[in-house]
Order: sequence, then C-alpha cells, then structure tokens
Amino acid sequence: MIAIDRRSFQHFDWLLLALMLAILAIGFVNLFSTTQPLPPPQIGVASEFKTQLAALGLGLAGMVVAIAIDYRRLERGAPFFYVLVLASLALTVVFGIEIRGNKSFLKLGPFSLQPAEFAKLGLVVMMARHFHRHPPTEVRRLIDLIVPALLLALPVALIIAQRDTGVAVLTLLIGATFFLFVALPWRTWAILGVIAVAGAVGAWEVGLKPYQRARVLSFVQAGSGDSHGSDYQAIQSRIAVGSGGLTGQGWLQGPQNRGQFLPTQHSDFAFSVVAEEWGFAGGASALVLYAGLLLWGLAIAANSKDGFGGMLAVGVVSMLFWPAVINVAMVLGLAPVIGVPLPLISYGGSQLLANLVALGLLMNVSMRRYMF
Amino acid sequence: MAHLSAPTGASLEGRIRLLAVLVLLIFGGFVVRLFHLQVVEGEALRQRSQKNSIRHVELDAPRGEVLDREGRVLATWRSSRALRVIPNDLADRARTFAALGQLLGASGAELDAMAGPSKGLARFRPVTLVEDLDWERLARVESHGYALPGVETFEQPRRFYPAGPLAAHLLGTLGEIQAVQLQRAEYATYHQGEVIGQTGLEARFETHLRGSSGRRDVVVDAAGREIEELHEQPPELGGRVVLALDRDLQEEAEAGFRDVPEGEPRRMGAAVAIDVRSGDVLAMTAFPSYDPNVFTSRIDHDTWRALTGDEWKPLRNRAIQNHYPPGSTHKPVMAAAALEEGVIDRNTRVYCPGYYYFGGRRFGCWKKEGHGSVNVVQALQRSCDVFFYTVGVQLGIDRIAKHVSSFGLGSRTGIDLPGEVTGIVPSSEWKLRRFKEKWYPGETVSAAIGQSYNLYTPLQLAVAYAAIANGGRVVKPRLVLRLEDRDGRATEEYAPEVRGASSVSDANLAIVREGMTAVVEVPGGTGMRAKVPGVRVAGKTGTVQVVSLDRVRGLKELEIPIRFRDHAWFGAFAPAENPEIAVAVFVEHGLHGASAAAPIAQRIMARYFQKRGLSPPPAAKPEPRVAPARVQQASASPAPPATPPLAAVANP
Repeated sequence: MIAIDRRSFQHFDWLLLALMLAILAIGFVNLFSTTQPLPPPQIGVASEFKTQLAALGLGLAGMVVAIAIDYRRLERGAPFFYVLVLASLALTVVFGIEIRGNKSFLKLGPFSLQPAEFAKLGLVVMMARHFHRHPPTEVRRLIDLIVPALLLALPVALIIAQRDTGVAVLTLLIGATFFLFVALPWRTWAILGVIAVAGAVGAWEVGLKPYQRARVLSFVQAGSGDSHGSDYQAIQSRIAVGSGGLTGQGWLQGPQNRGQFLPTQHSDFAFSVVAEEWGFAGGASALVLYAGLLLWGLAIAANSKDGFGGMLAVGVVSMLFWPAVINVAMVLGLAPVIGVPLPLISYGGSQLLANLVALGLLMNVSMRRYMF
Repeated sequence: MAHLSAPTGASLEGRIRLLAVLVLLIFGGFVVRLFHLQVVEGEALRQRSQKNSIRHVELDAPRGEVLDREGRVLATWRSSRALRVIPNDLADRARTFAALGQLLGASGAELDAMAGPSKGLARFRPVTLVEDLDWERLARVESHGYALPGVETFEQPRRFYPAGPLAAHLLGTLGEIQAVQLQRAEYATYHQGEVIGQTGLEARFETHLRGSSGRRDVVVDAAGREIEELHEQPPELGGRVVLALDRDLQEEAEAGFRDVPEGEPRRMGAAVAIDVRSGDVLAMTAFPSYDPNVFTSRIDHDTWRALTGDEWKPLRNRAIQNHYPPGSTHKPVMAAAALEEGVIDRNTRVYCPGYYYFGGRRFGCWKKEGHGSVNVVQALQRSCDVFFYTVGVQLGIDRIAKHVSSFGLGSRTGIDLPGEVTGIVPSSEWKLRRFKEKWYPGETVSAAIGQSYNLYTPLQLAVAYAAIANGGRVVKPRLVLRLEDRDGRATEEYAPEVRGASSVSDANLAIVREGMTAVVEVPGGTGMRAKVPGVRVAGKTGTVQVVSLDRVRGLKELEIPIRFRDHAWFGAFAPAENPEIAVAVFVEHGLHGASAAAPIAQRIMARYFQKRGLSPPPAAKPEPRVAPARVQQASASPAPPATPPLAAVANP
C-alpha cells in the first residue's frame, strides 16, 4: 500500500514541489507582516503566525501520506471519506462554535477545525470516483447527472446550514467543474443554464444576508460609492494595491497594512498586502507562480493514464482555482467583497492543511503517470 | 494498460486544454489589472494612502462608577480635552511647535521631541502631547487651529474621585498598562498606553469598570481636518461597583485620623468597621493617605517621588497590607482559649503582685503596683498582664495557636482587594519551620500578651472581634455588595459569607464579652473613652512596645522620636448585648490605645448609632476640626513626618 518505489521516485514532480514551495514562501513572509501584533515601528511574532506554522507542519505531514498511498486505493475508499466528511459537516451544524455569525468551526480540544475545508477534498475524491466509473464522455442524458448532482448537493446543503455562504458557493463551483466534462448536447446545456439562473435569483432572494446583498449592489454600482459601509473594504484594498507601485512600499512597511486600514488583512485581503509591500513586481510574480501551478496541474490531469487520476487532478486544480480567482478579483476590485481566502497565502489552518493534502494527491497522480 | 487509458478520451483532453486557456486569460487579465492599478493609477493611489483620507479614531470609554451602600458616588468620571499631533500631517514642523509652545506656555523643542519622527510608519500615529488641558489653553489652541494642521484636541473622559482622598486605598490607583501585564491573557483586549487599575478596587474590578471604547471613521483633508463622519460607534461607560461601605462612617474614620490636637504629629495607621452579622465593610481607611485623582492623568515626577519615596508609604493600605503585633488586643482571644480548654472558669482568680517570674526571668505587669486578685472579667477590664502570663503558660503555645487561629487571625480574610497579607499566629511547628528552632516555654509568656511573633492586620482583628460578638462565626469581609451594568441593573450579587466557626463555645464567648464590656462601661476599665451615649460598648485597648524600654528611658512621651513610640490599638463591638458593628483601630506609633485609638473607634460607632437612631445626635458642643491645610498633608506632601531631630530630644 505504501508504495513509493524507485520508479515513482524517479518521476517525482520537482516542478510541482518548487511552485508550491514558492507560493507558500510568499504566503508566510506576507503573513508575518500582516499579523504584526505591535504598532509600527516595532515588530514581533504574532500567535496567528505560529498557529499557521504549526498547520504547515501538519499539512506537510499530511501531504507525505497523500503522496505515499496508491491513489487507486483512494478510489475504492472514496465513499468512506465522503460519508466521514458529511458526518463532520453535520456535527458542525449541531455542535459547531459560532464565529461572526457563521457556525463553521468545530472545537477539538485546543484546535478548532473548519470541516467545510476538508469537505471540498472529500467531495473532489468522490466526484472523481463517480466520473471514473461513469466516464463523462459517455454522459449524454440529463438523467445521468442526477447522482453526481446529489453527491454535490449534500455537502453544499450542510455548509449552507452553517450559514457559511462563501464556502458553500466555492464548494458548489468546485463540484460543478466536473460537469464541464460531460458530453451533453447543447440543448441540455441550455436547460441547465436556465435552472442555474433561476437558482441564482432564488439564492439572492432567500440565501443572502442583507449585508451580502449590499456588497454585491455596492460593487455593481461601483464608482458612485464613496467610502461608506460595504464599499469601505474595497476602497481600502484598492488604495493598498495601488500605493504599492512598481516595487512596493517594502516588507513590514505598508501603511495600509500596518495602519490596520484593511480589515482581515491577514486572511481575505492578504494579497492586497503582497501588492502593497512588494509592488507590481511581487504581485505579478505571485500571480505568475499561481497560474503556473494551475496550468501544471491541468497538464498532470491531461497526462494521467487513467480516468480517476485525471479527474482527481482536475478536482485539485479546481480546489485552488476557484478561491484564487474569486479572491484576487475581489482584491483587485473586479468582484464584490466575498469572504474567500487565497489558498496557500491567506491565514487559515484548515484551509492550508486541506490544500496541502490535495497537492499531495496531485503529486501522487503525477508520479504514477508512467506506472499504469 | 491500454484498457485503463480508454476513458480518457480525446474530448477530455480538449476540455482540459480549454480550461488551461481560461486560466491563462484570467490570470493574464489579473496581471493587466494589477499593472493598471499599481503603475498607471499608482501615483494617485499612493498619495491617497499617504494621507489616507479615512481615519479611524479610537474613542476612550469612561470608567464605571463606584458607589457606597447608599448610592453616593466615590468614583466617577469627568470630561476633559487633550491635545495630540499627527507628525505626518504637520505642515511646517518647526513653526508649528514654536507656535504650540507659545500657546501652551511650554517649550516648543520639548513638545517637538515628544511628538516623534516625521519619517517611517510612526509618523501616522497620533501622539498625545498634553492631557487634561485647562480651559484657557484649550481656547487658545482651538482659536489657532486653522493655522496648525496636524494638531488637534480631542475628548478624553477621565477618572474623577469627587471626595478626593476619601477611601483612597480602597479605590486604588490607575496607571498605564505595563509590558508584562500586556502579555497576560486577562489583558488580551488591551493596548499599549491604555490606563488601567493598578491597585485596589480599580485593579480588582478592572474589566468590569473598563467600559468599551468606541470608534469613529472620518474623512479628513490633507491637513488632517475632519470633513465628514462616516461611522460612529460611541464608547460605552463601564459597569458600576456598589460597595458595602457607608460614606458617613468612612468620613468619620478619616476625620478621626486627621483631626490631631495642635502640636502632635500626623496620625498614621488604619481603621476598619464591619457589620458583625453580614461582614459588610462599613469603613476602612489607612493613613497616611493620598489623593487618587493625581493618578488619573500623567502623574508628574515630583508628586510620584513624594508618594513612593515617603518613608511612611502613603500608598500602602495599612488595614490589609501591613500586619502588626496585637499587644493587649490579643487578650480577649486568649481568655476565650483558656475558658474553652478549662484552664480557667468565670471565677478562677489569679493574684497579680505587679510581676511574674518564669524560668528565673521577671515579667512585669504594666501596672507596677499590681492588680491584686483578679478573675477573667476583671483581668480583661484592667488589662492585667500577670493574669494572662499565668493562663498562657498553663495553655502552652500550641493550644493557644489552635484557638487563636480559629478566629481567623493569621490567615487572609478573603476581602475583595488585591495585596492582602497573611499575618502570623506562632506555634512550635511554625517556629521550627520558620527558624529551624524549637519553641521555648519562656516565649509563651510574652505570646500570651500579644508581644511575641504574632502579627495581625487591623482587618483580621475586626473579624476576630466580630466573631466574639456574633457567637463565633468568622465572617468574610464583604466590601462589594453587587456589580451593576452601566444602567444600574445588578449583574452580580455578593452574598454574605462565613469562612468558619471559632473553636470556642458561645457560653465562653459570653464571658469574654462581659469582660470586654467592663473595659468600656465599668469605671476603672481602660477603654472608657470609647463610650457611646445610648449604647453599651465592648472593647479592648492595646499598646505595643516598639523598642526596648532602655532606648526611651527618661524621655517624656512626646519627646520620644516617632519611630520609637509605642503603637496604639483599640478593638470594639456594640451594642454589647446584641452586637451589630465591630471596629478595629490601629494608630502607628500612637503611644496609647486608650488615648489615641479608642476615640477614633468611638467616633465611628457614635456615627453608626446616630444613624440607627440609637444614640442621640451630637450635642451643641462642636468638635474642634483642624484647619483644612492639614487635610492635604497626606496627598502629596514630600515633607517627612514631623520627627524631632534626635539632638533636640535632650532638651528637658
């Protein structure tokens, strides 16, 4: 079962590792700055920084395990993980602790976990298994989509029950990515489109909290807004990004960051600070590295020799792609303010842990591409 | 192997390629947008960040009130204005500080140095230069505001103790939070520079009194002037603390210390009055004292030095933070122990010739000619030392210690104030532990009259006397009745608590009460000066020798240097037959319990029973009050107590 034999080691994906480590490095250097516990000009190490370092250690260990197992065994065990994930989500709905209106954290002794982060991973593995057993190229009827749709709807419903709309939308997008591969006729796509629009309108009416609607509206009416209410974060973020210029204000030197003008600058607005303190040079490099990681992930998916590996790789890429796109678009003022962290760069232990395990699976698929 | 690759059809790869194009387009778009924001619009946005037009202003919350049991205010807050600068917004730094210096009557260069650098990140941080501006200087600065960009005045609620030094040691002191305190979990929500309670109730109930600070988000122009308010969250007043204290009794206790006959030095010491039934702390004072208002703004160096450098330590709450030998106030608990152990009964008589021999050593009675034959009631009434030498030796130190401790002596009373000391009740085991030495029977002789290792706080003595009065219940002193939120709704009630029971039966305590009543009420008693019209009082005087008699031989009392004078005690409760209030008064170097301490206890009790309607109001004969100039003595006076220089003592 633990099968890192010589052959797979020869095929170890150094590029993937390098890309990942580079992004992580940016994340931690930036986190040190965004979590400064002391007012400038003093500096110190924040407790959040230490927590994130601990999560990194745990995540790398999880990654090694994810690399070591034969992913075909994972295919067989997928339903087990899936049920485990559903159970932990249900537990959170009942016993979770409430933080800022969201009931999405589960307290385990000194740790608090966000099961929704792991739910994405469980969902990806389960969807990959489903589309491996029912290859998407053979899905031609709408009725064939009922089972995967249910697989997706269950965790999303449980996350909505935790009132964590941001993560629910993300999970939905990640799961929906798999549907892009099905070979439905265009008419069926059209019907799906109508359903999606109806769903979006319904969600707007009943699913969103008033402040969330205000954020979207303030974004749609952008330009007219000044610095009031919902628009405040967006404006501060733009000022932070813009003031970075070509080369940035310098590490630990960003006035927007250290002056605490940005709310949650260590989590949702982490990239604003990268741009403020490292300028276009730093911000663009981070984006290039990110795009490189995603593209390389897609290449691994394309090169995979079996359906499960390919689907798994696509799932992992979508796990990184959607939050990254939404987060960066928000920071750059291209999307409304949504509480979605930037994977590998924003603060958040559960998020880091889940993403490192996911990258471990991607590495696993990559290493075994010559084996089957 | 081929069959495994079958599902990965060409269309799958096609879709993946499509996704890759999507990723490229989106991230390409991001880079373009980033370039636009940072390089094209960059300069404009950078300027906005430098003079960020949105500013967050923290609004300090006023601290909650402290009230006495009748709702009278002991601590509240007042409004004040302070002046601060934001170095980044200063237009012409040199000129601004020169002008400010003139307006404030201060040195411009000094203000400049305080304001910090105009470079680096620190330049955005507002620096408070002057706190609690008086109206004249405030008006001058305000009228020149337009010419001083980067300078502003702001509202700063300030702690205010309307009664000045009244109950200072209970209320405590405020001070800036220290680096070590910031590390502690209880101060997790505090920030550098915040003023918190450092001692007394201010410290004990810090989080309740603190209130929550508010915040304003405002748009300011390039000069830092406010243009528009975006959002205001007003600060919220802290919660209230309602004390068991009675302000009238507190004033009486403090006046008792302050009103000193002409020619005598200031009185030092402590007084405590508690309700023997509930343990309510009705009054508690310590002298020398201070005015807690001096700690509410930046305390100036001289005042601070005067308070901390004073050899008599005015910041110390002598009622709980110092312990003293009890002297003869120890005799009632000794009598209780002897009665309980059966060493004596109500009628056992001891002959006092004026001295007592033990182990070849002579121990004198304070009355050289002797008391003759006395029983326990008479021995208490006249404070006969020989009687207690005799019963003490028969009891032995360990039986004494057992009973004495059961009255709560030698252990913390548990009052809701920080810094209480334990006191000491010596025993053979204690001495072995402390000095690695066995207890000598001869030491029991002096222990019997409270002149050994025994050390009690004035509060402990009040609690022990309350236990004698109430039939043996050792109450926990209740200083706080309840906590209330800022609107006066009770959030936490403190019920009366009993810490334990004395080991002495009420029948035996009744005999002790009889003896203590004789001290005040029967002619020939040592505590006649504690008499309260309309009420029978029980009490006991105490005088504690501070140095051996040789040091002061031949000197008249008022010629003895203060530090060598005896301490004076008086403990009491009343009404004797149905006690309500117990009082302990300690006058440090006050010479005689009967003359220095008993009158203070008398004033407190008289005031209590006047309020209860049991004692007639004070007659037309007004008590001579000393001029208020002396009232201030304690607050900041750097002058040492009026100690006559040793050389002068030689004068006849």
